[in-house]
Amino acid sequence: MSSTETLSQSISPKPGSAQISEDLYKSETETIPAEAWKPYERILFRIAFIFFIAISIPNSFEWYKIVANIDWTNLHYRDLYDIARFGSGINLFGNTIFGNALVGYANWVITLIFAITGGFIWTAVAVARKTERKEYRSLYYWLRVIVRYRAGIGIIGFGFTKVLPVQMPYPSLGILNTDFGDLTAQKIYWLSVGIVPWYQVFAGIVELTAGTLLLFRRTTTLGAILLFGALGDIVYVNFAYDGGVHVYSTYFVLLAAFLLVNDLPGIYNLFILERYTVPVFYYPAFKKKWQQFTRIGLKSLTIGIFLILFFWLQLVNFWYDPYKQPSVAGVKTLRGSFAVTEFKINNTVIPYSPLDTIRWQEATFEDWTTLTFRVNKPTSLDLSNGGGDPQRDINRTFEISGVGGGQRVFHYYADEKNKVLYLQDKFKPVPDIRNRASGAGGDGGTDRNLAQQKSREEETAKRDAANNKAALDWIPKDALASIGDEVYKIDERAITTRRKREFAEIPKNEKRKKMVLHYETRDGNRIILTGINENSDSVYIVLDKINRRHILTESSLKAGKY
Amino acid sequence: MSKTSSSGNITAWNKNLLFLLRIIFVYFLIQIIPLDLKFYKQISRGNLPGLHYGDIFNIAHYYPSWFSNAPSFADWGVFLLFAVVIGIIWTLWDRNRTTTTNNNIGYDKLYYWFRVILRYRLSVAVIAYGFIKLFPLQAPYPSISNLNTNYGDFTRWKLFGLSLGIVPSYQSFLGAVEILLGLLLLNRKTASIAAFIIIVFTGNVFMSNLAYEGGEVVYSLFLISLAFFILLYDLQRIINLLILQKPTAPNRFHPSFFQGWRKYVRLGLKTAFILLFVVIYGFKTHSGYRKDQFQYPNQRGLPGFAGIYNVSRFAIGGDTLVYSKLDPVRWTDVVFEKWNTISIRSNRPVIIDSTNIDKILRTDQKRSYEYEGSAGRHYYSYKTDTTNHLLTLQNRNPHYATEQILLNYDQVNDSTIVLSGTDQDRLPIYAVLQKINKKYLLQEVEKRGRRKSFKL
Repeated sequence: MSSTETLSQSISPKPGSAQISEDLYKSETETIPAEAWKPYERILFRIAFIFFIAISIPNSFEWYKIVANIDWTNLHYRDLYDIARFGSGINLFGNTIFGNALVGYANWVITLIFAITGGFIWTAVAVARKTERKEYRSLYYWLRVIVRYRAGIGIIGFGFTKVLPVQMPYPSLGILNTDFGDLTAQKIYWLSVGIVPWYQVFAGIVELTAGTLLLFRRTTTLGAILLFGALGDIVYVNFAYDGGVHVYSTYFVLLAAFLLVNDLPGIYNLFILERYTVPVFYYPAFKKKWQQFTRIGLKSLTIGIFLILFFWLQLVNFWYDPYKQPSVAGVKTLRGSFAVTEFKINNTVIPYSPLDTIRWQEATFEDWTTLTFRVNKPTSLDLSNGGGDPQRDINRTFEISGVGGGQRVFHYYADEKNKVLYLQDKFKPVPDIRNRASGAGGDGGTDRNLAQQKSREEETAKRDAANNKAALDWIPKDALASIGDEVYKIDERAITTRRKREFAEIPKNEKRKKMVLHYETRDGNRIILTGINENSDSVYIVLDKINRRHILTESSLKAGKY
Repeated sequence: MSKTSSSGNITAWNKNLLFLLRIIFVYFLIQIIPLDLKFYKQISRGNLPGLHYGDIFNIAHYYPSWFSNAPSFADWGVFLLFAVVIGIIWTLWDRNRTTTTNNNIGYDKLYYWFRVILRYRLSVAVIAYGFIKLFPLQAPYPSISNLNTNYGDFTRWKLFGLSLGIVPSYQSFLGAVEILLGLLLLNRKTASIAAFIIIVFTGNVFMSNLAYEGGEVVYSLFLISLAFFILLYDLQRIINLLILQKPTAPNRFHPSFFQGWRKYVRLGLKTAFILLFVVIYGFKTHSGYRKDQFQYPNQRGLPGFAGIYNVSRFAIGGDTLVYSKLDPVRWTDVVFEKWNTISIRSNRPVIIDSTNIDKILRTDQKRSYEYEGSAGRHYYSYKTDTTNHLLTLQNRNPHYATEQILLNYDQVNDSTIVLSGTDQDRLPIYAVLQKINKKYLLQEVEKRGRRKSFKL
């Protein structure tokens, strides 16, 4: 800030003065009495202080509740992700200005108004009581520490889902068989990263590096530049593709910009004005042993939890439970893309025509427990970005969200003993709330996921509770025994407390279309499905495998274990 | 000399540094100065009034490839070897020339001019790409055929292009950034800052080329190497100021040779550079965006035909074939583009064509973007004989260069076209096309957003 300017200007650019200023520099950080800040700088600082503290602290009760309930003995990567990602800013009066959310930025404007008001009150009080400080270099240092750690931990949490590439999954067979124009822009962007997992790793490493650099004083500038550039691009991407994460990415740009304020005068002075430049960084001297231990301890704890432990948890998630993909393996003999050779409904044959509105046109069985089929009839679409943290496979909707073209996506429980599939539509008219911990500003996608929905959901939740429980009872007991408990159908390292807790809850708003289909196949090349479809009609369907090789080549890096 | 001659050399040149400088100098010059005739032929062909933005782009995109058609890292080894040999000769020759030690100031000057060359070379490169993004030409909006092709039927590189093509505003933003960086390179004081940002920006381009199997891996790394060397001049200062957080002395070398008539030469050259690569090129790309988008053919198609058609009836050799996902012969659907391309979807395999190199070509025939890296459909350019209602289809893919389809067309009504003629194997074919009033989720959601429930 000012001291950089004043100092750098006060030193004459004489060659050979380096030694002198070296000494000056040393003493500045330790003993030299600080120069007074200009009055406007002090006011700006007070405003900035209130503003940045406010947006660095979680503002929802939900977050504190979730974090307090984390089971540290059996962690899920999402537990740490939740700590790293939260809603912030002053939201006592809601997140709209005159009813306008300003595409999500209204909270910042409100917070800024508070900060400005607070800043002036602070100034007035300090002046009136004649206790006004001449400068705030110590407080400024600590504010920077808070912002550095907030931004660092936040971006590390965000980056890890890319470092172990699960944030943008590789397209499922059903998506590979969908026409390009039948996808939303948001979907197309996510997929374009999903098809190149190694690039996703690279992008994750960039974010992780930026975050890690922010944890150290000397590399803060570098980290802030990297964060500013990388996330600035992501802000633009989110606006262009309607990605929905524009506010959260702008958040990091804002924090990075704040951290760079201290450097800009020096950079300008050195490169544009070509003057001798003495940077001024105030670092408090930690003279007492306990201070040093506290500092090292907190720092080590941050690194231990958010870099080392987080990596392991994310790796487990990548291996066994990629959070946007269903993680239970599907029936092995069924998997593949299929042409629908024969289709009978209530014993009437319907010949294949791309224009028919009842007949299935093609179908896929994914590696996991999903059946997709295409029907040329409009259907309700899930336009969210398919994110969030659902533990149940049926709620992991990346393969359905933003995908049109008449694609239907059903989750199945397979009773392999009797060869029966119990299928439920993955589309749900009232979706669950996602990203509870991050609150508003999360990647909600549709506002059906957000507050407006919340009241309606709570209202219906009670009424539906009984229905929901009944919704689970549509599968006969002996079949359920053969199907097994979904909680335990993945690798035991991925069976976390979080997973168990969510499965113990009764799902909400479980109004889904259902099918019960018996399957018959010798080697998976021809599958005959018979049973009752989602409209209670009896169907007879013959599927023949299409041995198509997609031009798109899959990477060696694959998430999940199927 | 320079303003700072009083304080001696700016860089403490020693033998090793000088040797290194000479090698790097030659190494980069080989890559910057065109030594092959092809390049000059290309230039001599362009006459100013008829100058196409593609001509300027292709000049700006010059990169030597000595041993194959495409640039390769093998070339780099040879360039380096060459540079080392010349560097040794130069060093020997220079030792004989100057025995007195004190003035290596000449090398400060050399370093300065060297950096000037690199700055302008890099500037041209990023500005050339900048304008074809600012006016979103590089990745155009997907064609009708592309919109109606399975996601899995594209290569990674094609999907990269298509994904950028659906957001022209983002492409313009990227272009604007590139142009800005190119302009900052022209200014000595901002060159290092621009070079630093280019390393990050083009670093991402380089990684994308690797991941998506693009064709500009070598070229983008070359640009990064230019940027790195430009930055090197100030690197120590940057580290000193921002990382070590120590007092830092500014650059002290100021060119003082721009005096008298030289001042005007400098001004003239700089103006000419900006005039050609910013003003004229910018103007040309802009009008190209309106009238001649280089990725797609320019020749108009049959008026009123553009769209996708379901093939409701298909007969070959007199036999009618029913719809089938598996049949390699029966057409599933047919697209008429706005330009003279027809694409046919069937289960007939496609050997894809995919070079992935950025080149702007003037002739329609060579504009391969629409079918590059794309399977699922066969693409044909067509010639129309409107009096006899005859279409002559020529397969656009070089792997099927001999394939022709001859068709009589009869537009029965607004939505129905009947085609009859012979296919690529001279078998008689007959097809009835029904226009599909296709609503694309991509476009519908763009209009209405994804916050409200929606059925399609």
